[in-house]
Amino acid sequence: MIDVDAVTIDYGHGEQTVRAVEDVSFRLEKGKSLALIGPSGCGKTSLLFALAGLLHPRSGIIGIDGEEVNTPRRDVALILQNAGLLPWKTVWQNANLALLLNGDFPQQNAAEVLAHLGLDNVMTRFPAELSEGMKRRVGIARALSTAPSVLLMDEPLASLDTLTREKIQDLFLNLWHEHEFSMILVTHNIEEAAFLGQRIIVFTDRPAQISATIDNPQMGSIDFRQNPTFHGVMSQLREALEA
Amino acid sequence: MKRVITYVISIAALLFAWEMASIAVNVINHALILPGPFDALSQVVKNAAELQRNFMASAWRLILAIAISLATAMPLGLAIGREPTLDRFFSPIIYITYPIPQVALILFLFVVFGTGSATKVAMVALALFFQILVSARGAAKNIDEEYVISVLSAGATRWQVYRHVVLPASLPQILTSVRVSIGLGIAFLYIAETRAALGIGLGSFINKHMLFSRDRAFAGIVAMAVLGLLLYIAVDVIERILCRWKYVKRRPLK
Repeated sequence: MIDVDAVTIDYGHGEQTVRAVEDVSFRLEKGKSLALIGPSGCGKTSLLFALAGLLHPRSGIIGIDGEEVNTPRRDVALILQNAGLLPWKTVWQNANLALLLNGDFPQQNAAEVLAHLGLDNVMTRFPAELSEGMKRRVGIARALSTAPSVLLMDEPLASLDTLTREKIQDLFLNLWHEHEFSMILVTHNIEEAAFLGQRIIVFTDRPAQISATIDNPQMGSIDFRQNPTFHGVMSQLREALEA
Repeated sequence: MKRVITYVISIAALLFAWEMASIAVNVINHALILPGPFDALSQVVKNAAELQRNFMASAWRLILAIAISLATAMPLGLAIGREPTLDRFFSPIIYITYPIPQVALILFLFVVFGTGSATKVAMVALALFFQILVSARGAAKNIDEEYVISVLSAGATRWQVYRHVVLPASLPQILTSVRVSIGLGIAFLYIAETRAALGIGLGSFINKHMLFSRDRAFAGIVAMAVLGLLLYIAVDVIERILCRWKYVKRRPLK
């Protein structure tokens, strides 16, 4: 269970303080998926980083499974915009980063994850040797290598071409079913939010405040894109964003 | 292979230009003022033993000086670049001390360290310290935050951020500054070696022969050039090994 209770996040110090997030509350049950959508730079990434324990809210409380989040947690994985791969580490080292940093990390067989994502024949390569789509896969492998119970994603598919994007969205969906983690996705892409979010929260422009919450219970299958409900949810989202 | 041929051609062109310059200078002055490459190279062969002794003395001073300045300036520069509090404290100090020509301190160094190798090494290390400090600081400041966030979210400690992100991300720029430092270091080493009356080292060898047997002095200059070249190659090799990731290109699956 993820609990976000009246969270306000500020950036900077003194007179240069910028309010990124204002009084946001929501709750996500274990194993569910949530998409956060809003204009670029509205503050939703700050909220995600606070959930990851990387920054502290000015007020309000973020809790995961009843514990307040202050520092990065071992059972929470974060996937960044450009996959966050370190260019000087090989695919194998990148995928095993958490294990490399904390020797006693519970290790879901990383080799198995890499093989499952079709990366077993590029383990000794550096990120620069891979296509964009493959880099994202390595980022996913890294996140899954610790068998997280919560997966946080910050625009994980930005700057990908449409087909690669859809392929990796399908992959996320399958992995979500398979591993049963809770998933929070930050995006500014309507179609992505409608495809991956069981619930979708729409944010206003900075500071991010919740302007609408849309339930999307029928998501969850690969062919949802052909479903009229999918298009219905997309129009609802468009209206909410324009409002 | 192609690379070797290009190297041979470029060195041949350099020797040719030197020969032409030597002929021109000597004809204009009606005297043997500038020795040509063949005079100098034949002196290299004739003085091989003495040159080797001086070469080794200069080489180890230079390598030691580079090692000392790297070992001190690199960690300090990286820390200043990453920690705003350190930056606020040290940056004014750097801005004030960096522009001081370190050569101005050479007599002072002779007083402190004596006329032996220590002064020469200290002189060069002092000059290179600032080069490496400033470039390490700049490199550490410009690291893409995504890398830092990425390791922090995976549970990295502050030390691990340095070890896995700051150091490897800054290394290429630091090695570039080491490359620049080689030329600068040789210049400072020359000055330091010529200031100490009769010491060993290529600087004093060149200085000793410049007036009365200039072709031997030029043999010393050739040896200094070779020293620089060897160090450049060494840094290139080190970079190829430590920063292999910079030299890879996207390639399709097998």
